Amino acid sequence: MDPRLLLDLVVSAVALAGWFAAYGLVRVLTRPASPTPAPATMELGTEPPAVVSLLVSRWSVTEDAAEATLLDLAARGFVELRQPDDDPMRTTLHLPPTPPDDSGLRPYERRVLDRVRGLAVDGVVPLTALTFRDRAQAKTWNRRLRAQVVADARAAGLSRRRFGPTVTSLLTAAAVVVGVAIGIVVWHYSIWHQAEENLAIEAGTATFAALTAIAGLSPGERDTPLGRQVAARWLGVRDWLRGHEQFDELPPASVAIWDRYLSYGAAVGATRRTSTVLDLGMGDRRLLWSSYGDTWHRVRVRYPRFSARYGQTLPKLLLRAAISIAVGGFLLKVFGVAFDLVPTSADQAERVFAFVADGIVVVGLVLLVSGGHTLVRGVADLVTERTVTGEVLWLEVWRTTGQGDDRPARPWLHYLAVDDGSGDRTTAWGLPSQWAGDCHDGDIVTIRVRPWTRRVVAFSVVGHGRSRGSVEPIGTDQTRTPVAERGGRAGSTQAARGPAELFTVDEVGQALGLPVRPAERLDLPGPVTGVQFRAAGDGRPVLAVATLSGAAAQWVWRLNSRGRELPGIGDEAYASGERAVLRVRDSIVLVRVLGDARDRTARLPWLLAQGTARMPAGRDGG
Amino acid sequence: MQTGFILAAGGLFCLLVAVMIGWALAAYNRLIRQRNQVQASWAQIDVQLKRRYDLVPNLVETVKGYAAHERGTLEAVLAARDGAIAAAAAPGLPARAGAEDALTQSLGRLFALAEAYPDLKANQNFAVLQGELARTEDKIAYARQFYNSAVQTYNTSTQSVPSNLIAGLGGFRPMDYFEALDGERAAVQVRS
Repeated sequence: MDPRLLLDLVVSAVALAGWFAAYGLVRVLTRPASPTPAPATMELGTEPPAVVSLLVSRWSVTEDAAEATLLDLAARGFVELRQPDDDPMRTTLHLPPTPPDDSGLRPYERRVLDRVRGLAVDGVVPLTALTFRDRAQAKTWNRRLRAQVVADARAAGLSRRRFGPTVTSLLTAAAVVVGVAIGIVVWHYSIWHQAEENLAIEAGTATFAALTAIAGLSPGERDTPLGRQVAARWLGVRDWLRGHEQFDELPPASVAIWDRYLSYGAAVGATRRTSTVLDLGMGDRRLLWSSYGDTWHRVRVRYPRFSARYGQTLPKLLLRAAISIAVGGFLLKVFGVAFDLVPTSADQAERVFAFVADGIVVVGLVLLVSGGHTLVRGVADLVTERTVTGEVLWLEVWRTTGQGDDRPARPWLHYLAVDDGSGDRTTAWGLPSQWAGDCHDGDIVTIRVRPWTRRVVAFSVVGHGRSRGSVEPIGTDQTRTPVAERGGRAGSTQAARGPAELFTVDEVGQALGLPVRPAERLDLPGPVTGVQFRAAGDGRPVLAVATLSGAAAQWVWRLNSRGRELPGIGDEAYASGERAVLRVRDSIVLVRVLGDARDRTARLPWLLAQGTARMPAGRDGG
Repeated sequence: MQTGFILAAGGLFCLLVAVMIGWALAAYNRLIRQRNQVQASWAQIDVQLKRRYDLVPNLVETVKGYAAHERGTLEAVLAARDGAIAAAAAPGLPARAGAEDALTQSLGRLFALAEAYPDLKANQNFAVLQGELARTEDKIAYARQFYNSAVQTYNTSTQSVPSNLIAGLGGFRPMDYFEALDGERAAVQVRS
């Protein structure tokens, strides 16, 4: 091996290994503590159950936090739990006619209470109906709740960021050194290798950006001296509660007897049965609660899967039937003459041919019958079309069309489960995907359907459901905003407003000249938060929006502030091809037009101007 | 052949005996754990009851300053306290429960009496004692719940088959609940 290449490789490896070793060491040194439990005691403290859940789970917020908060609200009289029979799964939540003053509720307590209030029909909601029916919504709701619990714990001095500003700064400084080292190595390599293009700056910058992104990833929370002390006491309470075997078997409605002991029991994981019943995550799509007709009832939903007829349009169905009949008829015509169930020929080859011919005739017959059946049922499906009005119980992608390796699969059919109040069982319909963006679970819809193909042929939303009121904008900053709200330390000097909140669906639609669906969150590394908008028609991504702020934003700005300057938008803005970038103080917004919409960039400056007005800094500085 | 059969039968028998011994040890340990939990729960009640005994003389002294002529009620409270302390020293849980309930009832009458004396109600010391007593009553109520819950679990184990066999051999006897007497179930009204 060339010694110069060896030198370059060694320097690169040592620089990167050094940085990762430092990062690993920091992770080890900042691990949350495991306090020794205090003696078992029944003395409760003043910390709310959600924060207790954080403390006893080694400074991580589990699903127990939301469940314990709900029980705590019940213990404090904001909601009432009633169990009509022996089955705790049938427990219902009731909102009292004169609730206590809720002005002192913490943000996560209000979040849980708002969810109950948002779903209640005449002040009642089944306990198991609190689950979510949209995975993104469930994820966002729970993530925000976790952020609020963490913010409360930090404000009380019980928890702190695992990587503090000093550690992050040191890792960033180390990333600069590694970036420079990699840049020099690439520069050196380009010189002695006589490369046409020297990519030293790009390599160094990319290395720095990647390492900074890794350093910026939130590794969670860790203990504080006060937090360890309080956690030890709560671990004593946990031991006390776990010592009572009966406590493990208590149902949620027993909060009427045990008051806050049950909520703290749920927080410390001492109430197995209650925790089994309580769930604020994703619901079971096969057994759903419906409030259609203003009474809560459970509906079992079946999702048809295998038959090719489901969701097909009539022309496609008739074409398939015609092909099937034609092929079947052809096979019968050609091989029918050779059909002989008991060949008598002495010749071996003739007997084999007769058997093969018999098989082909059978296949032809099956195709003929199947095609005829499809034809008749398809036509009958037209005649038996009916209109269904009911509540949307579930909506999810059913069938997609592959578009090759470089493009995501495009959905063309969605499952739509609708409860029309006629029974406790229903089968999902096939909703063409272009309509899927128009409705939400809980909405009342009127659909025209063909029963045999399960296809929805006409669709209209006649009433918005209660759960629309609790829809969370997806993709906003999850951890920093609540901390700032409570006066805690924010992670950056000024957090950018989340990309989902910058542009409305209508604005994006106007800018691109085509209808789009609501924003979907993108999982992006480090401090970057992003969303993408898809075309309402074919579901292809048409616009990506990313926001970030702080030191990382400055670097990204330097790389992207090129092209045509757009005066009067924010502090600075540029457009280049299908990209545009906007800066307001230390927050930046990157917008990129995607796919078939790439040629629709004329109104990007207008779109950026709309977003500028919504950026916090834009109001006073922009 | 016969030797093999004897060995197999012997092995099976030993395995069975080992399983039974294992189960007996687990059942015995479980009973011990449950009995300890009952005792720990009782200790929590005891702490709160003693806290109440300590608060009562101060309370009576404070009330005496404003309503000295209500001697009968005040003496009844002190007598009930003395009775509760005496019952605590004597064996028998029902007797102690009765004495504690009598104290609770007499305290209820004392607080009802205080309603008629606005100066007493406005007294800072009285308000603090009243609040303290209210919290203690709450803790007693919860501690009683925990105790009764622990007793129920323990009693269920000592009485149900087959763990009652181990309970009988180990001398585990059913325990008494800490209950209010039939005629005295009304909760004391302590307004803070």
